[in-house]
Amino acid sequence: MEHILSYIIFIPVLTAVVLGLFRAERKLLRAGAIFSSLLTLVLVLLVVVQFDPNGGMQFVQKSPWIVNSGMHYLIGVDALSLVILLLIALLMPPLYIYMLHEHRKGYWYNMMLLQTGVSGAVLSLDLVLFYLFWETMLLPIFIMIGKYGNGMRQYNAMKIVLMTILGSMSMLFSILYIGYVYYDTMGVWSFALSDLTTITFEAQTSIWLTAGFLLAFAIKIPLVGFHTWMAPAYGSAPTPAVVILSAIMAKLGIYGIWRFGYGLFETTLSYYAPVVIILALIGLLYYAVRAITEDNLRKMFAYSSGSHLSLIALGLFLENQYAWNGSLYFIATHALASAGIFFMIGLTYKRFKSVHISELGGIARVAPRFTFFFAFFALSIAGLPGTGGFVAELLIIIGAFSMNFWVGVFTALSMLSAMLYIFWMLQRTLFGEANNSCYDIEDLSFREILMLLPLAVMLLVTGIAPSLFTPFFEPYLATTLTDVLQSIGGLK
Amino acid sequence: MAELFFALPMAIVVLGAFVLMLMSNAEGINLNRLNLVAVLFLSVSLILEFMSFGGVHETYLFRDIFGDSFILDDFATMFDLMFTGGAILTLLINNDYFKSRDYISGEYFALILFSVFGMMMLSHAHELVTAFIALEIASLSVYTLVGYHKSNRISAEAMMKYMVLGSMTGAFFMLGTAMIYGAVGSTSLSEIALYVNNRELSELTLVVVGASFIMVTIMFKIGAVPFHGWIVDVYHGAPYPITMFMASTFKIAIFAIAIRLYLVGFASINSFWTEILQVITILTLFGGSWLAMSQNVVKRMLAGSSIVHSGYLLIGISSLGLDSELAASAIMFYLIAYFLSAAGAFGILSFIASQSKKQMRYEDFKGFAQRRPYMALLMSIFMLSLAGFPSTIGFLGKFYIFTSAIESGQIMLAGLGILIAFISVYYYFKLIAMMYFYPSEVPQKKFPINISTVLIAAMGLIVVWGGIGTSLIPFIPGADGFIDIAVQAIHSLH
Repeated sequence: MEHILSYIIFIPVLTAVVLGLFRAERKLLRAGAIFSSLLTLVLVLLVVVQFDPNGGMQFVQKSPWIVNSGMHYLIGVDALSLVILLLIALLMPPLYIYMLHEHRKGYWYNMMLLQTGVSGAVLSLDLVLFYLFWETMLLPIFIMIGKYGNGMRQYNAMKIVLMTILGSMSMLFSILYIGYVYYDTMGVWSFALSDLTTITFEAQTSIWLTAGFLLAFAIKIPLVGFHTWMAPAYGSAPTPAVVILSAIMAKLGIYGIWRFGYGLFETTLSYYAPVVIILALIGLLYYAVRAITEDNLRKMFAYSSGSHLSLIALGLFLENQYAWNGSLYFIATHALASAGIFFMIGLTYKRFKSVHISELGGIARVAPRFTFFFAFFALSIAGLPGTGGFVAELLIIIGAFSMNFWVGVFTALSMLSAMLYIFWMLQRTLFGEANNSCYDIEDLSFREILMLLPLAVMLLVTGIAPSLFTPFFEPYLATTLTDVLQSIGGLK
Repeated sequence: MAELFFALPMAIVVLGAFVLMLMSNAEGINLNRLNLVAVLFLSVSLILEFMSFGGVHETYLFRDIFGDSFILDDFATMFDLMFTGGAILTLLINNDYFKSRDYISGEYFALILFSVFGMMMLSHAHELVTAFIALEIASLSVYTLVGYHKSNRISAEAMMKYMVLGSMTGAFFMLGTAMIYGAVGSTSLSEIALYVNNRELSELTLVVVGASFIMVTIMFKIGAVPFHGWIVDVYHGAPYPITMFMASTFKIAIFAIAIRLYLVGFASINSFWTEILQVITILTLFGGSWLAMSQNVVKRMLAGSSIVHSGYLLIGISSLGLDSELAASAIMFYLIAYFLSAAGAFGILSFIASQSKKQMRYEDFKGFAQRRPYMALLMSIFMLSLAGFPSTIGFLGKFYIFTSAIESGQIMLAGLGILIAFISVYYYFKLIAMMYFYPSEVPQKKFPINISTVLIAAMGLIVVWGGIGTSLIPFIPGADGFIDIAVQAIHSLH
């Protein structure tokens, strides 16, 4: 079991390759995909059980890759990556349940590739390896949007790819430069994160290098100003792709800042903190306003997702214990809630052939179970007390107040604005006069409840008993934060 | 006798060309046979080259007859391997294409062999007049091949353009050689190096001017902006096999002589050209991107993008001039990577062309993934590799080129290269989007298993393996292996 992380990364893609080579029938393909997702889930749970919260980087595996350029296949897991890894593994089975009757084989192949891409990106500790996974996870999304999407799908697929690659190219430049500086000082090549953290840069160089990384992550999150791909892509993408986009890939932007930003440029990142905090604050309100005025549910929750990710980014750059705990907690709970709500939007589309609020209404009268889950996930996005989102937002807001009164006020405002658009949306879609299309629709089936229930239960548990989870990642956050504060001289 | 053994690969190729000329006059020999004979001669040459790789260091061939004209080192051998390999791939992959066009005859194969002979001579040339003759042998054969389809007006136009411009720039080479001879009193590279090493730059005006003239020829042949005017039309007008041959193999030959001149002949003064090279590189990168982006026909897009790839290679060359340790092997690796990816992409185009005679615009690829899923997958791999997407060999190629630029202090140039790589994503991904994002009216076709498709598939695998291949699996060289070969070849120059 020493290669357990490698199994977690590569089981999905190997399943896809084997099934693809034998040109598997749809049913076999489906069974294979579900089996691979369950297997990875079991393996991830095994990792969770054996994980030691105080142990730092664990399950490290290092194999030679392209040796004479110092690239290694170097993977490992710590609290931060474990949270996201667990989310990926937890989301895949419900996703496959959602896709159960999907007859287009491309869906299944792409989702398996995607799982490998995101898991690999989360576990890589070598910069080139990370870059490889970071780029490859884009391909399935590209195909999913362009081939199976709706609306201006080809255009939107091209747009997301070009914008994301612009970011990754700037990151590549920084990676190359850092690698070269290491070679110049040490005389050997290495791209391992643990090696690269040992070198220091001149302030000016460091600012540029950080910018390279930040651009990639800001586009992925997306911070306001780098967001123009978001609404079109979310609007065009089929539901499975949207779920991954919002629940996992956007979080990887945050993860990247945490792992590589704070890993390599602790001090320089604080230089950018005011910029990012202001962008995040603008984002909070801008996205909220866009969400209020949006008629398309997918796009509305795209903006909502942008707003909340801005909040997470804000919490990250506040650089204090409350905010960091809140951010990491929010990564997990927002992933669950946004996955849930995008599932519900997918189900809405299946029933009404529309995701426009103006064409919906009065669903509550005919479909109570549907209404319950829809309202539950929507409210947990808004941060309803009792769901995990509330705990997380509260922590970030406390962190914001402890930094600056006005930052705190603006942050708290965002929570209120989220309430605003969520409640107004709920009122117009679920309640009110029933629309013509809303008579005689089916309520949620057993299969659909099976896929939604785990997400809902986890949201509740994270909301009611956060103390179950915090010991899990608190030691990691505390030590990392102390390091950061020490290096910027902010620890008193 | 050892020298004869080393000269044998070249001799076999030229012999094969003569045999093919004779065969083409005989009645009743079909194209398959001619192709087979050509491949056989090339394969024997390839095997002999392979055996001599790594074995010799700096031997002059028949010194008592030719003097310093021909050198034999790993550098030349590696290029010879690429030329013969490239020609074999061109011939085999295009087998279907040859059969589908009735203007192809025996001389066609002979001309390909002649041009391979010229290229091999070029990579072995250690003396300027020899290099010129070799360049002209290769070029004249390629001119003829470009215009081989006489009744096709585009093809004829392409040949005319290429020949007139090519011969004119060829004259620059001659002029430059004459000037250098006037100053040095010899055209041998070692003599030139000796002369240049012992003098200040201010005393070397004539040599510098002469070398700059030679550079004009080289820049023209690799299609660097502003000498690029011919490239899109010629690549478009030439038959697919020849476009493939020019883009992948002939271009490499030019780099062989360019690197040798730069590293051996003018090593001590090559920083003189750094600024000029940088300007040309920037122009080439932008101009090539502009050309590639604005094309509708896929073949023209690949022609435009081949200019961009020349630009990346020029980044490497200007890093060489600034004493980068990594640059030389980076260039070699990039050449291998570009060769594999471009040859694969052109191979697929020619495979499609052998089935229909339509021009291939982007729109014609709509639904291609549904009609031919495996071909579309392979095409995507080649496009990704050309775009420098990680997990393909093209990524590593760019990786080394940009690292070498950073190492030599050309940070801006590296940044620009990365920006251009980003732009190139647009026109390569456009093709992938066309193939995958549109439904097809025609039902799925079977993947035909023949020599062309198998070879294309093998190249696709190599492209991926070159990018992700690890040193985990013994006996199969991954990316590391390619780099080692490149480094070994470059070291033989010093």
